[in-house]
Amino acid sequence: MKKILYTTIFLLAMLDVRSQFNTNIVVSPQAPGSIFNWGTKDMTYLVSSPAGLGRRVVIKASFKTLDGTVVGTTNLANARVINLTGGNQLFYAADVIPADIMVFSGKYKVSLDKTGKLPSDNYQLCVQLVTPIDYLPVSEERCRTFNLAAFQLSIPVMPANDMVLDTKLAQTYITFRWTPVTPRPVFPVTYRILVFEVLANQQPVQALRSNQPLLDKAITGTTQFIWQPQLGMMDLSAGVDSVKTSKQFIWTIQALDQQGKPISDGNVNGDGVSEPAIFRVGKKEEK
Amino acid sequence: MNKKHHLLLLLVLLQFTASAQDSTKKQPPFKISGTIGVSYEHYGLSRKPTGWTGFTPRKPWNQLRFNFTPTMQFGKNFSLPVNFNFATTPTNFAGPYTGIGKQNLGQFITNPMNSFGLNPKYKWAELLLGTQYLNYSELSTGDIGVFGAGVDLRPKGYFIKFFTGLSQQGINFFTGPPATTGAYKRTNWMFSLGKMKEDKYEFAVNFVKAKDDSASASPPPPSVKPQEGFTMSLVAKTFFQKGWYVKVEGAQSLYTKDMTLPLDSSKSSFKPFIKGNTSTIKDYAGDAGIGKKGKNFDIGLKLKYIGAGFQTPGYPFMLPDRFDYTLNTRFNAWKSKSGTHKMNVVASLGKRVNNVTSNTLKAEQFIANLNWFTQFDDHFSLNVSFNNFGFQTPGGINPYGIKNVSNDFGLNPSYTWGNDKVIHLMSLNYNYSKYDERDVLTGNITSNNTHTGLLTYVPTFLTKDLSPDFTVMYFRNTLPLFKLTLITVSSGLSMPALKKKLNLRGQLQYNYSKTNSYKNNNNLIASFNSDWKVTKKLTWSTFISSNQFKYGDEITPNNARYLESIIRTGFNYRFE
Repeated sequence: MKKILYTTIFLLAMLDVRSQFNTNIVVSPQAPGSIFNWGTKDMTYLVSSPAGLGRRVVIKASFKTLDGTVVGTTNLANARVINLTGGNQLFYAADVIPADIMVFSGKYKVSLDKTGKLPSDNYQLCVQLVTPIDYLPVSEERCRTFNLAAFQLSIPVMPANDMVLDTKLAQTYITFRWTPVTPRPVFPVTYRILVFEVLANQQPVQALRSNQPLLDKAITGTTQFIWQPQLGMMDLSAGVDSVKTSKQFIWTIQALDQQGKPISDGNVNGDGVSEPAIFRVGKKEEK
Repeated sequence: MNKKHHLLLLLVLLQFTASAQDSTKKQPPFKISGTIGVSYEHYGLSRKPTGWTGFTPRKPWNQLRFNFTPTMQFGKNFSLPVNFNFATTPTNFAGPYTGIGKQNLGQFITNPMNSFGLNPKYKWAELLLGTQYLNYSELSTGDIGVFGAGVDLRPKGYFIKFFTGLSQQGINFFTGPPATTGAYKRTNWMFSLGKMKEDKYEFAVNFVKAKDDSASASPPPPSVKPQEGFTMSLVAKTFFQKGWYVKVEGAQSLYTKDMTLPLDSSKSSFKPFIKGNTSTIKDYAGDAGIGKKGKNFDIGLKLKYIGAGFQTPGYPFMLPDRFDYTLNTRFNAWKSKSGTHKMNVVASLGKRVNNVTSNTLKAEQFIANLNWFTQFDDHFSLNVSFNNFGFQTPGGINPYGIKNVSNDFGLNPSYTWGNDKVIHLMSLNYNYSKYDERDVLTGNITSNNTHTGLLTYVPTFLTKDLSPDFTVMYFRNTLPLFKLTLITVSSGLSMPALKKKLNLRGQLQYNYSKTNSYKNNNNLIASFNSDWKVTKKLTWSTFISSNQFKYGDEITPNNARYLESIIRTGFNYRFE
């Protein structure tokens, strides 16, 4: 009888504590695959409590598939203890799902070890506050469903790598085409097309990293741009020699989100810049 | 300014030394070739109405560039190639040096816009000093400039290569303006060991490592963490009789995306070169090619796989998670009486799969190219080209998948005729381009069609020194609710002067462009080149151009205009 009484008192006390912490979680509906690189726009966890109510807690987070199978969870023994001081406090991915505390299993661990990303799929992220030592819940568990996408940046298609364009045509127009960011993000992607002149004695990638661009144009809604470069005003013979028989240019695409920030998930530099392509303007090779 | 003075002084001293050495050219033990040069370029941009910023500058206002690239040969066995190329004003746009204004000496030397390299070589031993762009293989390193020191030793068919240095200096993040992206100081190491016999075989094992200095930027760059990467690759190339060849490379990379995280023994390591932490990933890549190269027939199959987690410090822009293969061929046909071939065909067919690791998001890209040239007789030739690419993905969370298809067809007949005074060349270039894009929400396809016609006439006078050319171009691009028309007329003239010591070239080009029913835009471009051989070895080159563009009413403010101008002049001295 005593046990039942104590258990009832304990549960009531826990309910009371839980009611003191209101929590909410927001996850981007199409979050990047590199979960440990999530930024403030990808995930936010809000904790509200009455002013003056202080408590030490740890954040317990779980990644689940849509059928509820847990694929990764916080190693609570190593989790950081947080001091809640009352009022509203915001936590981001680095606090909620720190890379060194999360433990994944099976194919999800294999994928993370190999690529740094979870397999593209639909997941739930569930977050709850628990006590530091005995891990008793002190808030409701909040879950959000989201789609995890491994974004692939654009690939420059036209002019293709090493393509030679006719001088007279290129002086008036050059058509650029590229593949879109895939899978298509829920937000509109802005493609920033950048074209650089390769100067004499320069390597093409050196030109990309050091020159002022001849073209810096933001395009939204399509993956083609017809550039009227007015190249007639440039000396297309400069830098052309017996080795470089035609003037070289290097071009690339930078993918930006709706806030103008680079889509950071597609390459290791986190700058949204695609693998560049080189094209040349001048005489085509002898047949 | 001090730095500029020092650089100028260095250049003058080097030039004096080189000239002094040049006077001893007749002595067999010493030979010098290569060039030294300096050029100044001014760019001007005037926009109206005042305050309108719809057109942005495309070049730095003033730029002074130097090049000093002689190769000194001392006797039979020792040579000293020098490669100094640098500019006074940093113009970095993409990458970590973006927006950098004042550079310290270390940043100036390692700025990718500048190169300072020395490669002294004695027999089979080469010392690599300063800026080097080294290409070991397609999956290890080849796209990164490193400032440092190393060797390239090639005794008896073996090769041992080693190089270490900085690929970028630490740069503090700065919100601007102008904003500086910032970067961690990155040290690179690369090593290659192998054996080769030219046109027979090559075997090599390559190791590449890069590591950031976490404390080298304050404040640090906000978007990137300090990283560490290690890649090893095995390369085998074999060349058989009758032009057959096989090339294979396999590579493994370990890459730590965030060095600030704690070490993790459960993650992959390759001690002592890299110790895994919680952000370390390990993946593989492979590259293979098989084919035949001949005088009149080439064929080759190339395959490349880059794992989703493969990342090598030597190719920082490489996009992972893909598999592609291409079949290339080239052949000559239709032999003439003189023994040459009248027909040349170059073709390729390929496919690229992106997001290989995902069953649901796999994207496929098809590529097909054909270029078919025929010289029917001494007068008439025809070139036909066709390019196609298609890109397709599943719908995913959208009702429809992405489906973009591009088709380009080109026809280029040329006809020449003439007599003993003049030869005429008339060339027509017609191109039809179609680009279809499917909307993933509605499934509607937007078709973008372009027709281009270019007519060129070039008379070559056999008894005069004048070389004119004339072109007319018509371009029309249409898609629903949009129509763009371009008409270009241009003419060029080149001629020698001062007993052929001076070459003059001029070009005038007028462009008419009209979008939908808006008032047309007008554009006039004029350019002038002169190359004057002041002495047998010294050339003075000058280029002047202006670009006047006046908008109609398609943009606001109406009738906006800009005038761009370039003046560049420079001296180039050839040592040999």
